[in-house]
Amino acid sequence: MMRSLYNIVGLWKPKFPKCRCSKSFVLIILLVNFSLLTSSFCFSQECDLVLKGSVVDLHDNSPVSAAVIQVVEGNETVFSDADGIFLLKNRCSGKINLKISHPNCDDLFTSVNLNKSTARKFYLEHHIESLEEVVVEESKIKKLSATAPSYTLTELQKDQFSGRGLAKALEQISGVQILSSGIVISKPMIHGMFGSRVGIIYDGIPIENQQWGQDHAPNIDQNAFEQIRLIKGAGVLKYSGDTPGGVVVLESKPPKIMDSLYGKTILNGMTNGRGLNLISSWTKSFQSGNYFKVQATIKRVGDFSAPDYVLSNTGNDENNFSFSMGQNKILSQWKTNFSFFSQEIGILSSAHIGNVLDLLTAIESDTPTIINPFSHQIIHPKQLNKHYTGGFQYSKRNLTNGKWNAKYNWQRNNRKEYDIRRGEYKDKAAIDLTLDTHNFAYNYEWGGFRWSFDSGAFLQIQDNYSNPDTGIKRFIPDYIKTRLEAYFTTSFTPSNDLSLDFGLRYGHQNNQVKKYYHYSRWRKENYEERLGAFVIRDVAGQKLVEQRLTFNNLSLSTGLKYAIQPDLKLSVNVFHTERAPDIAEMFSDGLHHALASIEYGNPFLKTETTQKFVLNLQKERGVFRYNFSPYFTQGQNYIIIEPTGFELTIRGAFPVWEYRSISSTILGFDLDMSMQLGERILLSNNSSWIDGVEKGNKIPLISIPPFTTTSQLQLSFPRWKSFFMALTSKGILSQKQFPDNNFETSVVENGKRLTKLVDISTPPQAYHLLGMELHWGSYPFFSDKISVSLIFENLLNTSYRNYLNRLRFYGDEMGRNIMLQIKMNH
Amino acid sequence: MFKKISIKSILALCLFVLLFACSKDDPDPINENEAFSRVTLEVTKEGSSNPTTYTFEVEEHDHDDEDQVDHQGEHIKIDLEANATYSVSISFFNISDNITSEIIEEKDEHQFFYDITDELNGFSIVSAANDTEDSNGNPLFLKTIWTTTGETSGVVVGYLIHEPTSKTGSTRNDIGGATDIQIEFEVHVK
Repeated sequence: MMRSLYNIVGLWKPKFPKCRCSKSFVLIILLVNFSLLTSSFCFSQECDLVLKGSVVDLHDNSPVSAAVIQVVEGNETVFSDADGIFLLKNRCSGKINLKISHPNCDDLFTSVNLNKSTARKFYLEHHIESLEEVVVEESKIKKLSATAPSYTLTELQKDQFSGRGLAKALEQISGVQILSSGIVISKPMIHGMFGSRVGIIYDGIPIENQQWGQDHAPNIDQNAFEQIRLIKGAGVLKYSGDTPGGVVVLESKPPKIMDSLYGKTILNGMTNGRGLNLISSWTKSFQSGNYFKVQATIKRVGDFSAPDYVLSNTGNDENNFSFSMGQNKILSQWKTNFSFFSQEIGILSSAHIGNVLDLLTAIESDTPTIINPFSHQIIHPKQLNKHYTGGFQYSKRNLTNGKWNAKYNWQRNNRKEYDIRRGEYKDKAAIDLTLDTHNFAYNYEWGGFRWSFDSGAFLQIQDNYSNPDTGIKRFIPDYIKTRLEAYFTTSFTPSNDLSLDFGLRYGHQNNQVKKYYHYSRWRKENYEERLGAFVIRDVAGQKLVEQRLTFNNLSLSTGLKYAIQPDLKLSVNVFHTERAPDIAEMFSDGLHHALASIEYGNPFLKTETTQKFVLNLQKERGVFRYNFSPYFTQGQNYIIIEPTGFELTIRGAFPVWEYRSISSTILGFDLDMSMQLGERILLSNNSSWIDGVEKGNKIPLISIPPFTTTSQLQLSFPRWKSFFMALTSKGILSQKQFPDNNFETSVVENGKRLTKLVDISTPPQAYHLLGMELHWGSYPFFSDKISVSLIFENLLNTSYRNYLNRLRFYGDEMGRNIMLQIKMNH
Repeated sequence: MFKKISIKSILALCLFVLLFACSKDDPDPINENEAFSRVTLEVTKEGSSNPTTYTFEVEEHDHDDEDQVDHQGEHIKIDLEANATYSVSISFFNISDNITSEIIEEKDEHQFFYDITDELNGFSIVSAANDTEDSNGNPLFLKTIWTTTGETSGVVVGYLIHEPTSKTGSTRNDIGGATDIQIEFEVHVK
């Protein structure tokens, strides 16, 4: 019975997450089966000997089930059972060569001399993976998708921008841009999409805070994670169904299973901003599989400088800490973790303006209106962000090679925005939001050689609180959101050349929102008709409306990957994504100082649906390699924000921006090429082009990145073995496709009344940036290894402005920056 | 075994939903006590004791009027006599609270600026003797003397500026800072 079960199982080649189960051991005990022995009594040459063995974890002697035991001669395969025991019956006497493998472990080759039915113990060991390893073996990592290509940041790419935030590190991948508000507040933009359309997943859980709108960066310290991967396209239904842009996945590696203490420390110094940043992480692991890990980041950066002036009040400070502990075994793992992230970011002083006239003055002026001497001090306006996370997870493999995982995760985000205010409000935040999120996730993975399956459920409860002590009306209202989601994904690999996959995710979302509407807005929008029934209180010129909004979303994805030639792979992926509108898109209400605009949500928005087609042609080996990836997206109820009119305030007339849904089309391509010229020279180029329009009237979408091309020359020299350098040239064209949101305003200037155009639409000029990197290392340094990098950004000190920076009207981007990075592996 | 656990965990989750999904407390309304809702100009002719008060009120965004009167688009006209001198005092209100004193308290961080169009020939505004001065001796232009000569009419724009970069400029641009209030009125000298 057991045997027949295993024969079925025998077809499976399950895909397991990369387990850095360091050394684990299978112990095979060959026991004599006495009942059979009696029959094999007479002739030892008879082929009726029995080998009975059990597989155990070297560290704690616990049995390891589902190990594959192959007899090298004859291709017979059996599996170890729940107690780690397997039987090889009807063996002839002589030497048997065995290969014992487990997805989490290194293969063990061993031989047994069988003269009589014998008992033997074999120890299996987990993969030994040292942290020095730069290249991650793709085959042993669980792929994010069987068909869609994923992009992994190498350790060098990751560490290089360890002091500059997640978006900056991801920007190295073609098709990824940064959407920013100033220099520090930045979020990744993939294929023209950002915010809640791009999922950021850490330890399997989406990070929350995009509900607060555009000028908010993900509050995460990427240095707490060993691996950063990205999928361009709708991404991974296992994690989220509402991210048509793509997914960024941050993961921690489970530590080695051995008694060890190791770590890594990076010290970054940068000239621009005169900043320092120190990152250190330490892991203590034990033979038993237990481990502790602590990581901390501290960062102090002063005002950045453009080539011609100081960008006053653009400094930032960061203090982050994370702690995790857990246990890794071959068959089960648990982990608990806690992290704290705290960040203070100065907002460019000159970007704090009062009205449209001030905005006009800023646009017409080449330099910021406020330039103070360099300082490390951060004054108002500023942002203060705190993000706490805590969680527990447990996963276990069962007999049939399936694996389940259960997680609980808690996140608390707090954002305080300080403005320039007067009197008793001077030191009070203008925005004070607290978002508490509880996530529960459960999934079960199973599969075999050709098929693999993954299915799970996700529950989220989220509570947003807007502190009324600010004395300013809530930009985001109070709400409770509950989400219940379930997914199923499967992949099928009929041959080595072909993989197919399919997935679906269904989500039910319920938002209970309590929002105050001012009478004037209420009357103007004629809300009485549609929201009148939901008014629960009427106080001080405001109406409190309670709404329960329910969204049911179904997202689907399917793909195919085919090897045209062994090194030429074609993949086609199709995604259908349904996304419920964000709270910010439905309910934001307030004044944006930097844009001198009043922003209103639209409470009647419907689920946004997008269909995305991505083609990918990749040549992986050889002298000339490339990856060409065109894509096409069409959106229905695609939510955008645009100006709709003016509102008069005591500060003058303000343009009003409101959310609206449209039908949209986005298409583009990413092209990566590289050419190896001899052993020492590598030439590469990444380019991306994108075009987005509103269907029908053909009006271009706002904030679509212009054509970008980055070329790199990498050199190493025979004389200096542990040195290499790279020269980078990045060209960004001027975006010619943009919506015209300009407006006119009447001003009095030099005693004359004039009508002036406020040009908030025209993108900045094209620009070109040159960079250089020098890397030395690693060298032995006492018991550690040390490596040093010197990185030059904007080498020519070019003055430029970036279309994707919302504060581009107020000042140039950063000038030349020289970063010195010292990295130690302990 | 995992089935058991999954059922248990699903039950636990459901319980959790029930516990949490109840309801959110009603949020408190926010009164924006800091923002300006009204500006008045009290214009008194020299020798007279009967001031005329002009009120600027825009109640769309920052505040809501309970009288439901739409003040938008109202144009304030100030009629003055030729060859006369007026003392003018400006006051700032939040709903009915006079918060001019807060501006005076933070005199170094504020400045009022009148921008007079060229059509208003011979019309001038200077700081009054009883005007507030900041710690550098620069007048804030809260109390001013308006002098008229011949008949004329034109527009005056007044700005209350927060954190000005300069207090002695002669144009709005010279003064810098962020505009907290922008009012506009016509002056008719007859």
